Amino acid sequence: MDIVFSRLGDNEARFVLEGVSDGFANSFRRAMMSEVPTLAIEDVRIYDNTSVLFDEILASRLGLIPIRTDLSTYRLPSRCECGGAGCPRCYTVYTLSVEGPCMVYSGDLVPRDPAASPVHDRIPILRLFENQKLVLEARAVLGKGKEHSKWQPTIACGYKHYPVITIDDRCDGCGMCVDECPRGRLANGKGKARVIPERLELCLLCRLCEKACKRGGIGSEPAIRVDEERSRYIFNVEGDGSLPVREIIKEALLHLKESTRSLLESLDEIAGGTSDEESE
Amino acid sequence: MIPVRCFTCGKIISLAWEEYRERVEGGEDAGTVLTDLGLHRYCCRRMLLTHKELVKDLNPYQ
Amino acid sequence: MPGSYKCARCKHKVEIDVNVRCPYCGHRILFKERGAGIKDLKAR
Repeated sequence: MDIVFSRLGDNEARFVLEGVSDGFANSFRRAMMSEVPTLAIEDVRIYDNTSVLFDEILASRLGLIPIRTDLSTYRLPSRCECGGAGCPRCYTVYTLSVEGPCMVYSGDLVPRDPAASPVHDRIPILRLFENQKLVLEARAVLGKGKEHSKWQPTIACGYKHYPVITIDDRCDGCGMCVDECPRGRLANGKGKARVIPERLELCLLCRLCEKACKRGGIGSEPAIRVDEERSRYIFNVEGDGSLPVREIIKEALLHLKESTRSLLESLDEIAGGTSDEESE
Repeated sequence: MIPVRCFTCGKIISLAWEEYRERVEGGEDAGTVLTDLGLHRYCCRRMLLTHKELVKDLNPYQ
Repeated sequence: MPGSYKCARCKHKVEIDVNVRCPYCGHRILFKERGAGIKDLKAR
């Protein structure tokens, strides 16, 4: 198994994962999206709201605001010592008290724990007009993306097979495929089309180039072929800022490790400790 | 009000709304403004492109 | 509690008994005022 990062920022990562199966790549993707906990506002107590938005819409908007999460400080309510009753380790509180006319931004939320502040300060929550008022208290808890997407640490998160493009001798350099490619990954070489190496990973595997080649009258088989390399994947992970992407990847892999370990343990229990020998 | 996130991918698109509106009202091309603001996927772009701000119209009826 | 309402035309506070009509201007469209209670919601 091999991993090569082509980009690893705080909010975005792109890497090539090699030597794994479809199943592993997909469970890795799913673990990143739905098994890594983040903070999000879950309970809202509204004292006064004379704005144009309904309380429910307002609460839903608050829930979608990403919050900086420190996984060493907070615990999932289901795994907390307090048993989910609510303690400083499993929730944090925000207060909001604004009078119009003004625009209410996510930065107006006053957090009890400054480390768990909203990622962005300029997310418009709602607009207040003359004589309108908003007073509320919100409580954020850790949760997982599989329960509600507000707890998903990732936004676009996906993978595709690594493209393999072969251009054979029948290519006459007509340039039809070059014009057709939506990602501009082809160029005209000496009487023959060629792949621009640094743009290869942008290939969508859409095969428009193959179709264009056939239309060029070269025969029933196109001279350019797009194939997928099995067991080699290009991953693209974008975070919403609540956790750095590096931590999302790490936590997802730890989750996979933990769940396979617990599966092995229960298998051991059933088989009476013989599972190791059976796998030999 | 502009939705906080893109319905499809979940990107925080509401951050870009105020600047987008100002620049488009100032006569700039909506497409280039969106690209400028870092909205590359078409799911996020349609969020701003097709949004109509209604809170001001609703206000007298509260 | 007979809910507190507000007339849509003259903005007077109105108490509804039998007739749904503003006693000050005769308008028939009334808005319900927000109660003083605290509301607990799930952000979903």
